[in-house]
Amino acid sequence: MTFADFLNLALNGLVEGLLIALPALAVTLVHGLARFPNAATGDVVAAGGFGGYFTFNVTGSLLLAGLGGALVGALVSLAAYYLAFKAIMRRSVITLLLTSIGVGFFIRSVLGMSFGHELKMFSLPLTRAINFHGVLINPTDVQLAGVIVAVLAAVFVMLYVAPVGRMMRALADDPDLGRVSGIRKERVMVVMWSVTGAVCGIAGTVLGMRTTLAPEMGWTMLLPAFAAAVIGGLGNPVGAVAGAILLGVVQELSTPYVGFVYKIALGYVVMLLVLLVRPQGLFNRPQGVR
Amino acid sequence: MNRRKLLTLGAVALIASQWGTPVFAQQGVFKIASLNPITGAGSPYGTGMLKGAQMAVAEVNAAGGAGGAKIDMASEDSQTNPQAAVLAAKKLIEVQKVRAIIGTWSSGVSLAVIPITNDANVLLMHTSGAPALSVAPANAKKLGFRFQATNDRFGRAFAEIAKREKFKRPATMAFNNASGIGNTEGFRKSWTASGGTVVANVVYEPNRPSYRSELQEVLRGKPDVIVTGSYLADTTIILREWYQSGQPARWIIPGWAANGDLLKALGPDVTEGIISVESISAEDSPAYKSFADRFAKEAKMAAQDNVYAAMTYDEVIVLALAVQAVGPTAAADVLAKKVHEIGTPGGTVVNSFAEGKKLLAAGKRVTYHGASSALNFDEFNDVTPDFAASFVEKGKLVRKYVVKL
Amino acid sequence: MVSYLATILIIMVIYILLAFSLDLQYGFTGLINFGLVGFFGVGAYTSALVTMNLGLPAWLSFPAAMLVAGLLSWPLGRIALRLRDDYLAIVTLGFSEIIRLVIVKEDWLTHGVQGISGIPRLWPNWSSSASELFLLCALITAAALTTLVMRRITQSPYGRTIQAIRDDEVAVIALGKDPSIFKTQVLVIGGAIAGLAGAFYAHYITYIVPDQFVPITTFYIWMAIIMGGVARLLGSISGAVLLVFLLEGTRFLRGYIPGVTDAGMASFQLGVIGVLLILFMRWRPQGLFGKRSAT
Repeated sequence: MTFADFLNLALNGLVEGLLIALPALAVTLVHGLARFPNAATGDVVAAGGFGGYFTFNVTGSLLLAGLGGALVGALVSLAAYYLAFKAIMRRSVITLLLTSIGVGFFIRSVLGMSFGHELKMFSLPLTRAINFHGVLINPTDVQLAGVIVAVLAAVFVMLYVAPVGRMMRALADDPDLGRVSGIRKERVMVVMWSVTGAVCGIAGTVLGMRTTLAPEMGWTMLLPAFAAAVIGGLGNPVGAVAGAILLGVVQELSTPYVGFVYKIALGYVVMLLVLLVRPQGLFNRPQGVR
Repeated sequence: MNRRKLLTLGAVALIASQWGTPVFAQQGVFKIASLNPITGAGSPYGTGMLKGAQMAVAEVNAAGGAGGAKIDMASEDSQTNPQAAVLAAKKLIEVQKVRAIIGTWSSGVSLAVIPITNDANVLLMHTSGAPALSVAPANAKKLGFRFQATNDRFGRAFAEIAKREKFKRPATMAFNNASGIGNTEGFRKSWTASGGTVVANVVYEPNRPSYRSELQEVLRGKPDVIVTGSYLADTTIILREWYQSGQPARWIIPGWAANGDLLKALGPDVTEGIISVESISAEDSPAYKSFADRFAKEAKMAAQDNVYAAMTYDEVIVLALAVQAVGPTAAADVLAKKVHEIGTPGGTVVNSFAEGKKLLAAGKRVTYHGASSALNFDEFNDVTPDFAASFVEKGKLVRKYVVKL
Repeated sequence: MVSYLATILIIMVIYILLAFSLDLQYGFTGLINFGLVGFFGVGAYTSALVTMNLGLPAWLSFPAAMLVAGLLSWPLGRIALRLRDDYLAIVTLGFSEIIRLVIVKEDWLTHGVQGISGIPRLWPNWSSSASELFLLCALITAAALTTLVMRRITQSPYGRTIQAIRDDEVAVIALGKDPSIFKTQVLVIGGAIAGLAGAFYAHYITYIVPDQFVPITTFYIWMAIIMGGVARLLGSISGAVLLVFLLEGTRFLRGYIPGVTDAGMASFQLGVIGVLLILFMRWRPQGLFGKRSAT
């Protein structure tokens, strides 16, 4: 294997990692405020993907498709919050987790009954990759990566610059102190669920563009998104994105050594190892993990 | 007590729901059942398979039934899940007392169901690929019939085509399941047996968002053709990413993956020159034409998008012809032997049930050439069809030639 | 008819065993194990391979299945000890996927994606219906024994300790006991029970393939213990029964629900399960038979 081959693998991993970064970010943001891993994340991704697909068919514009996906994702996420999660927000982790599994099943079932299981695909023009001495760089991938990075940047700007983002982080760090200082939790929650839903929706549209649309498409993203968020440290946005990219690159680079089946397992093994050594995740401060 | 009431109520409901179905065999009715993958991994094909079978049942009954009996076909969803399929099969055999189960698709389902049908002396007709279904213990009683070419045969057809197109450096890509690997292994065995070498073999996992690394490994061997054992979803992704890589290569893909949907999704540029291979009936088979026309009208689906629908249609027709020949009360092994006879050369060739019924009534031996293939059961009750190589030209599939193994 | 009901009962009792395993770990000890299906699969494969490759009589393969599944739970125990609930859920989920991928990859042993077919019935010389009834009886006996064992465990000082660990681990440490030992033991015992269920499953369905051991089965069993009621043996039993009715019952509803096509039935079933889960967690988290306190 040449250096160009390794670089190609790393680039593949980067793109896959970016794909996972969005749902991983969603998982970690929900965990920060609502304190549970949201198993419905994958299905919100799928719902957003379908939204983006239909928007694209109607308008023919990729930009509008992304917006359509984001909108659908945000709406589904908000609906899940109001109808399912809000009433039980104070309960145990396992209650919320099981509820989110139920929500995920429900979303998947609605998608399945409404749109059937025949594969749907975006009909997009395809571009050829540019070949730099054996390293393949695909313009479409660059565009999609750009979109993802832009979305990530927007979310980070919101989190670290906008007032509502600061409130979100404050509440995530210390809910009681946050409440005492006058932050209205409800408003922040609504923003959080909308933003994570929108992020998932965009992830779904991008995924739909790169692969095919099916009601189950979100489930296959869920465990990698969880693994990435866990590796980075649940609740830590930077950690989620870093974890996703790390996971993607490590998985692809490991392919020549472990093969295509075990590269998937490697992600989970890495997660186990990270947690053995640093139970709070790579980027989190040691706090209340036990 | 709460629990007792709940359980009793449930048991009563379960049993009561069966009351509507007659439990005793009626005069003049031959009961069969269609166990299709309406949901699950096989769902793209399941509904079409059911419709194909239902069309055949209607055709048989319209022609006056088989051996004086109407065909009564129940249907169940296998969910492409062996566990659910076993329960469904049990229900069909025990409660509805069917004599034959047709239409199972996935190997997992057929392998799980065949011990049950064997024990109950019920015939099983399926379109699964696993080699284990041909031999003992699965098919020790020869009550199982395979209406789809074995994966091995597909592989050999691929090899024939690759040889004919003068490819020298093939590579394989297989979906990681028994069927996908069966196809590519069949190709590899046949190709290396005639002295060739395969430059790369990759097996990829299902449901990945990208197959670029897998493709990279295949392309590193600089193949001139890539032979796949794949399905529609993964083929779409792989072909897209291959096109984007810019490295030239030809493709040989099974017909269930390289169909109209694939061409529509990817467009003519990407798909130009792809060789799609599927098992077929003899050229311009009248059975196929008649089936495709009716299928388009009644089921509103295109026959060429679902190769299995024609197979389930044939399953019913050939079964009905056997029932016509030996009567609806014949024992299972007699029935099975007759099915085998009707599916093997030696009799007058017929292309429809009505044709066959007339000749059988006159005491002649018939050979049914079906819509999906000319059957030609081998010793294991597997069909040995011909294969068609169709090339994609400007976004459309054009059949170029037929391969006989 | 008898055979059909027998088959349903077999599946029910297999689910009951799995529910016991999960309830022991979560209901009684508070361990959030989302990797249940992994041990189910390990039990099935061990049992199948011992019977077929080593040629041992089927009933000997069952203890082997329990042993291997129990042993495999031990490393999970070591990892689990330091983790909080939410991390543990994800880690155990990942663990069961690793197990499945190993089964897929190590095909020299497991036949990989080809699966293992022709697993002999429990008493191969008997007729199939007799074999099936025998399997059912053996299964019910095993379940009854497991119930007794579970009763002994949960109603003993040991049982009080593990429930104390579930409720207030710090207090248990303060009393001088080491929770990690108990947790590991519970995981191993639960793993062994799941392995036993797997062994019965393999010999009943006679064909196993990695695709049968996917996380949704774990979620179904979680549903069962939640619906039935956690930390109650009666809860596990009734939850499993309810689950089978749900899964098999929708088969009879085909055609009766307006607006849902045949192809949509599986989605409909999934939706029903999802809604039930949400409703139970919100309004009756203790399930049908559970105690109010175990939320």
